[in-house]
Amino acid sequence: MAGLLLSPSEKVYILHGIEDDFRSDGRSNIDYRPMELETDVVSHASGSARLRLANTDILVGVKTEIDVPKPDKPNQGKIDFFVDCSANATPEFEGRGGEQLANNISNLMQRAYHSEQAFDLKQLSIFEGKQCWKLYVDILILECGGNLCDAVSLAVKAALFNTRIPFVKAALLDGGNVDLQLSDDPYDSKLLEVGTAPLLVTLCKIGEKCVVDPSAEEESCSVISLVVGVTGNPKCYCSNEDASKLHEHISKCSTIAMNGPGSVAPQTLTNAIKQGINAAKYLDEALGKALLRERQDITNFVKHSYGFFK
Amino acid sequence: MPLDYRRFNGPEDSVSYRRFTEDYTKDYKQFLDELIDENGRRKGGREMDEARTLCMFFARTGMISQAKGSSYIELKRTKVACSVFDPREIVHQNEYSTLGQLYCEVKFAPFSCRGERKALVPDSDERALSVALKKALEPAVCRHLFPNYQIDIFIYILENDGACLPAAINAAGLALSDAAVPMYDIITASSVAISGDKIFVDPTDDEEQLAIRNHDGVNHGVITMSMLPELQQVSDYRQIGSMDADCVLNALSILEKECKKIVPYVQRVLVQNAINSFEQQKKLEEEAKEREEALNAKMEVWKSILNVG
Amino acid sequence: MTSNTHTGTTVTIFFEDGRKFNDQRDIKLNVNAIKTADASAVVKCGNTTVVCGIKLELAKPKAEEPDVGFLVTNVELLPLCSSKFRPGPPSDHAQVISNIVSDIVTNSKCINLKDLCIVPDKLSWVLYCDMVCMDYDGSVVDACLITLMSSLKTLLLPSVSFDVETEEIKVDTTIKTPLPVNGLPIATSFAVYQQLSRSVILTDPTAYEEEMCGGLGANLIACWNKGQLCGVFKFGGSNLSTENEKETLALAKQKSKLVEKVINICIENKS
Repeated sequence: MAGLLLSPSEKVYILHGIEDDFRSDGRSNIDYRPMELETDVVSHASGSARLRLANTDILVGVKTEIDVPKPDKPNQGKIDFFVDCSANATPEFEGRGGEQLANNISNLMQRAYHSEQAFDLKQLSIFEGKQCWKLYVDILILECGGNLCDAVSLAVKAALFNTRIPFVKAALLDGGNVDLQLSDDPYDSKLLEVGTAPLLVTLCKIGEKCVVDPSAEEESCSVISLVVGVTGNPKCYCSNEDASKLHEHISKCSTIAMNGPGSVAPQTLTNAIKQGINAAKYLDEALGKALLRERQDITNFVKHSYGFFK
Repeated sequence: MPLDYRRFNGPEDSVSYRRFTEDYTKDYKQFLDELIDENGRRKGGREMDEARTLCMFFARTGMISQAKGSSYIELKRTKVACSVFDPREIVHQNEYSTLGQLYCEVKFAPFSCRGERKALVPDSDERALSVALKKALEPAVCRHLFPNYQIDIFIYILENDGACLPAAINAAGLALSDAAVPMYDIITASSVAISGDKIFVDPTDDEEQLAIRNHDGVNHGVITMSMLPELQQVSDYRQIGSMDADCVLNALSILEKECKKIVPYVQRVLVQNAINSFEQQKKLEEEAKEREEALNAKMEVWKSILNVG
Repeated sequence: MTSNTHTGTTVTIFFEDGRKFNDQRDIKLNVNAIKTADASAVVKCGNTTVVCGIKLELAKPKAEEPDVGFLVTNVELLPLCSSKFRPGPPSDHAQVISNIVSDIVTNSKCINLKDLCIVPDKLSWVLYCDMVCMDYDGSVVDACLITLMSSLKTLLLPSVSFDVETEEIKVDTTIKTPLPVNGLPIATSFAVYQQLSRSVILTDPTAYEEEMCGGLGANLIACWNKGQLCGVFKFGGSNLSTENEKETLALAKQKSKLVEKVINICIENKS
């Protein structure tokens, strides 16, 4: 995506390493880089999260607003994604440089969250056909160090997990207009069910092999990457006793897209999809654990802030 | 939304009358019953795995006189026009780009969709389709042959009855070859809509709507794939909805077959195109010869007049 | 293939495509080809292609004119139809064409806007008529009006019941009534070419001819509505003598009768 200059010999070095399943930073082809995740970092947002994946830095804030549902989907709320690439993220983002990339990512997220099986918009309904919640998910790309899609999807899921929606105490219908009474207490709120929210896994085709979590250098060696969106397992996002009540979960693809100017053979595509679904499963489990631990810390008031906002 | 002062605007709060008709909201069952009859055939008499290519595919090139290359595709009711213009230098470009650029724009006619009227300013749907089209075409065009230049490809969807992205890709492929833009291979595209165990090949708008809906957690979604059939390469693969891995892989193999089925139709149009231009060339040459003969004859007359004088 | 010799000494002057000066290109018309629109028409005048689609919507009438509906006509010159037009908001030229068409329709009073009102002060029809140019080869206004009028003539309005008490709207699409259309405005474009001391009038010019005669689009547009003149527009290019003006008006009148026949026959054959 965001390119940088590499000499041909550097490219060959990366390519040969990948062929031997040994990447320039010591990882194997299916390893992710270490991440830092922190939730509840922006006090004015309903939910927020900051994710740092090696050099990639993402801040996500979720705002809630009351809106009118779409006429053809009266019992569903709305969710909208906005991506903003900071001009500091990489030199190419100066001016309007990051706009197209931002558009691509927000389109991809919109598609990944489109299916009800990925994110249930019914939980955002307030009064059927009249009022619903609209979630504005603002994604700020602070630094770009490769693998933006994965990082964005992780941060968005964490921010949604952290999002609180005020309880509606009463809804009165008065001559076609709805009169809502919201609870005054900010802690009197409900959490969203985001267990099924999808994670995106980028598989970068370099040489004959696909790698997950490409660094910026690796991205510039590849002409094509495949993004697979896989729905999460709700079991990973709740306590053990709740998890036992849930049905067995099958991971599903909620979106697949290709990035970059190249093309792939059908067989490579098949393998990559399988690889992506597997990778997403592990990623989802790890994220669930981290988020549950974080929530525990917040409720016990033992949370330490590590980020630059506090 | 700010008012568009360059166009005539209607009242702000106008809504389509279809919203007040009785069959505006249908549940899943009703929808499904309408689309498939008791024999398991689709509305309109097609089999589930029968694309519209076989009977209702209409394509031609040289549609738009002002463009370098153009094409028009009709998949029964889906109507798509495409035009391609001469490569032109990229304006406001700081760096020299070794590869030529493709500029793609997909636009829906305001009256092309069944529900609400489409606004005249581009919306997110159109932008997403433009990006998808660009992605699909880039691997097919020999972009290294026109560095620092861009080719404009415009798609206009006159009527949308499903499968408009594959139709747009097919149309753009034809228009590019009509414009004599060098390409590695013919590009073809196809799509499937999946809802539970039903797989609709080359879906109509209704079938797409059905597939986008979730019903009892079954697999659902729409997949579009474009291919360079001779080179065995997938140039774009795009999925929306939610389905498990087996379903995705099954769809992939169906789409691969469908993309290959379209090839002879595209080839036929291209061959016809070549024959036509060859004939026209011949006609032009004949006319030029006639004109020259006439001129020579006149010259002879003048010569004789001069000689006499 | 250019056999024209506008500037030559020989006087056997033909159009670029072999037509005589006052010949008009063939008109091909098809109505109701687009099923997603409530009414539609496609016209091809030579190469120039225009598609018109009408979408019906409902809205509350304006407070100052409670018994009047809306007729919104827009002409789009797509980037697809000629390299002269770029993507983005409509150019000045597109806005001018849009305005001319809208003016002609309003001035000719062919649609009584009061017919579009359903319940005064509560509900009225909004007719969004979008004309899109698919191929720009001159005389676009003529083609726009032909498609617009043919679609309006074939438009059927579904019946609407409005409950004054509950303000509930019900639409029954099984009962449809045609929209009353009084008159049929038809425009004819001309280009004026200055050849030495005299000027040559070209009927139904192509894009190339329009360009050669100076100015954007046609130089003169005359519009007749059922034997009555309902608009003359003159833009740029050379000046016009009185005799020439008379000649053009007569030509336009002749043409309007022909086109009227074409439209009527086409609609009859379809129904």
